[in-house]
Amino acid sequence: MPWSLLSAPAGAQSDPKADLAKLKPKDFPTQPIEFTVVYPAGGGMDVSARLLAKHVENLTGDRILVNNRTGGAGMVGHSYLATQAKPDGYTVGVVASLLWGDAMLRAQGRWSFTDLEPIAYVNSDALIWVGSTEGPYKGMSIKDVVNAAKDKPNTIRVAIVPGSMWEYILDQIEANSGAKFLRVPFQGGGAGITALIGGNVDIAQGFYSEFRGHLEGGKVAPLAVAAAGRMDFLKGMPTFNEAFGSNEYLWQLVRYAVVPKDTPADRKAYLAAAVQTAMKDPELIAEYRKQGVFFDPKLENSKNLAADLNAYAEVERQFYIKTGRLK
Amino acid sequence: MMEALNGLLTGFGVILTPANLYLCFLGSLIGTLVGVLPGVGPLAALALLLPVTFTLSPIGGMVMLASIFYGAMYGGSTTSILLNIPGEAASVVTCIDGHQMARQGRAGPALGIAAIGSFIAGTLGVVIMTFFAPAIAAAAIRFGPPENFALMVLGLVCTLFMISGSTIKGVLMMALGFLTAAVGLDVVNGRERYTFGSVDLSGGIELLALVIGLFGVAEILSNVETMAKTTLLADRIRGLWPSLADWRASWRAILRGSGLGFVLGLVPGGGPVTAAFMSYALEKRIAAQPDRFGKGAIEGVAGPESANNSAVAGSLIPVLSLGIPGNPVTALLLGALIIQGIQPGPLFIAQRPDLFWGIVASMYVGNVFLLLLNLPLVGLWVQFLRIPYRVMFPVVLLLCVVGTYSANKNVFDLWVMLAFGVAGYVLRKLEYDLAPFVIAFVLAPLLEQSLRQSLVMSSDGAMILIKRPVTGLLLAASVVLTFLMFRRRTKTEGGLP
Repeated sequence: MPWSLLSAPAGAQSDPKADLAKLKPKDFPTQPIEFTVVYPAGGGMDVSARLLAKHVENLTGDRILVNNRTGGAGMVGHSYLATQAKPDGYTVGVVASLLWGDAMLRAQGRWSFTDLEPIAYVNSDALIWVGSTEGPYKGMSIKDVVNAAKDKPNTIRVAIVPGSMWEYILDQIEANSGAKFLRVPFQGGGAGITALIGGNVDIAQGFYSEFRGHLEGGKVAPLAVAAAGRMDFLKGMPTFNEAFGSNEYLWQLVRYAVVPKDTPADRKAYLAAAVQTAMKDPELIAEYRKQGVFFDPKLENSKNLAADLNAYAEVERQFYIKTGRLK
Repeated sequence: MMEALNGLLTGFGVILTPANLYLCFLGSLIGTLVGVLPGVGPLAALALLLPVTFTLSPIGGMVMLASIFYGAMYGGSTTSILLNIPGEAASVVTCIDGHQMARQGRAGPALGIAAIGSFIAGTLGVVIMTFFAPAIAAAAIRFGPPENFALMVLGLVCTLFMISGSTIKGVLMMALGFLTAAVGLDVVNGRERYTFGSVDLSGGIELLALVIGLFGVAEILSNVETMAKTTLLADRIRGLWPSLADWRASWRAILRGSGLGFVLGLVPGGGPVTAAFMSYALEKRIAAQPDRFGKGAIEGVAGPESANNSAVAGSLIPVLSLGIPGNPVTALLLGALIIQGIQPGPLFIAQRPDLFWGIVASMYVGNVFLLLLNLPLVGLWVQFLRIPYRVMFPVVLLLCVVGTYSANKNVFDLWVMLAFGVAGYVLRKLEYDLAPFVIAFVLAPLLEQSLRQSLVMSSDGAMILIKRPVTGLLLAASVVLTFLMFRRRTKTEGGLP
């Protein structure tokens, strides 16, 4: 089904609540709707989903439960959504694009990310490199840092999260520049930022929300962002692509809502309209901005969300093939 | 000093309103219940109640969530003592001596000392937090992978002292704990280990499911076998309150537990669970008669129960003064603040003194609430022991199942619980000690990760472990302790088995 049919009408003058009521199926929902989150409570994904749930609930009056189905670094929840969740409209996954890597590299053909149909774009977080405001690398630009890692290979310590984009971006930089970094593994971006402030690594990578407090406190300095354009909240920070005259450094987390394949069309249309209308609420947008996320203009105004997301996933697939991770 | 007192006054001004006091009380009550129910831990409760705090003021929401966290540490000991089933992971070691005391009719003193020890440790923790939070946080953050590694090594050496009975069996159990912990994603290269292609195993074995299985289900299995018609009491109930002799035995353990717990709460990766285990090991190490442990030694309850409470205060410091969470529960508290639009960081105390000092002040109040709430309950809990076991065990088993499932909503965890239940039953029959297994399981991932991180970030290999002063000191202490232990074992056992 073409995506445009599911979108709420473009004219914002009409009353969104009334439009939503027209789309509401007669027999749905009769029980709470589950927003499935595959990461633990309290993280960026969870906070995004709970804020969204609050607004969809206020908008529709339907009861929504946020459920954290965790395990296997998201793999357990992703498998659940793709293979076990009933396609009856009572399960909505609020997922991140890490889903694609799981599907391509770890699902072993048991499921694919296309088993989940996107209904609405939520927000994005781009990977940002930060350095310390103390120590030997203070005041350096991203180019200086990479050059330093080329001149003295294996001296600059970078915090990574193994087997994910935190590591892939290093693969790209090293392959393109001939630099060599020491990769110190952590369980998440936040732990790496902590190590940076404690002087145990030289460069950390993370999302804006993970280091904003330390930026305000003058402990860290942002170096570059792996997104298509500069961030509104850090206008002075270049993108990796600007700095290196390239277009391949695009490592971002896209958060969006999905329903399992074969969810009835009327329920899917209603859920899509509900989430999309909630996403237009300036209050929710303001709360997301406070959280430090950004909105990808390409996805925000997408006419065909599934196709645009697939295009992003395809870039990722090409990277996996190029680096031999995927055959 | 004056600054801290002024801050504290501000804090009390903020929280001494009927609404905030009510939320603090409500949180303490929920926390106690969450602690009492096996399986349902503070993490699950906080996740469930997070949406409720959206509608509260930031200070109200934080006061409630924090009080649930430390309230759970109070309640956690209850089922450990009464049923030998830990109410949450930080109360696993309380089972060992607490339940023996209950069988001897001394559940009252055990519960009493747990509540009072928790109160003393909780309050001491907040006092230190009041005066030294920013300074401590700045020091704790320099604690890097090499220091963490040395601390974990010391923890494991202490575990050697926990082994009761055969040394070889104890060391074997520790090795098994390491192996079990290796299941899941490799911390360095992200590859799967020992998962046999199973999606469920790729995240590793869930600690909660393992603990509930080994201690809860296994306990039920062995009890059902022997006492289908009777109650858990081997003796009649003797005394509701700790006696003078109990106090004399416990007060040092409470103070030691408070200090140890605070430090372990502070460092990244530590927290109430590790704190309780290490406190038990420490008490056993320094006891005049270590063989009393496992047979109802009250220090074995007082130490760990104090340690897990002060660990809560310790673990709140990095979150509130730097915005750095050290364990999942504090990560969730951070999430709650972020939802409220507040970003804790190094400037949090300066920018939001009302919030920081409000939370600190609420912890003084909350600990008093919890003491008042828990002491009268002792009399009630003790009566539960009179319920025939055949009536009690189905309810307890149900609670184990609900608690395990509610943590991750993952059915596989129930199979893990069942499997470890059966394994625990068999191992007990063969007189294998389960505590070294669990502590090795808890420490192994931290140990492995910090060692491999240290070696990656080092320019000269393993030298990094000796060159950094704190690391070197901790490792030297570990060597000395190991030496002492083997000398004592050789003396008492007449040669290594």
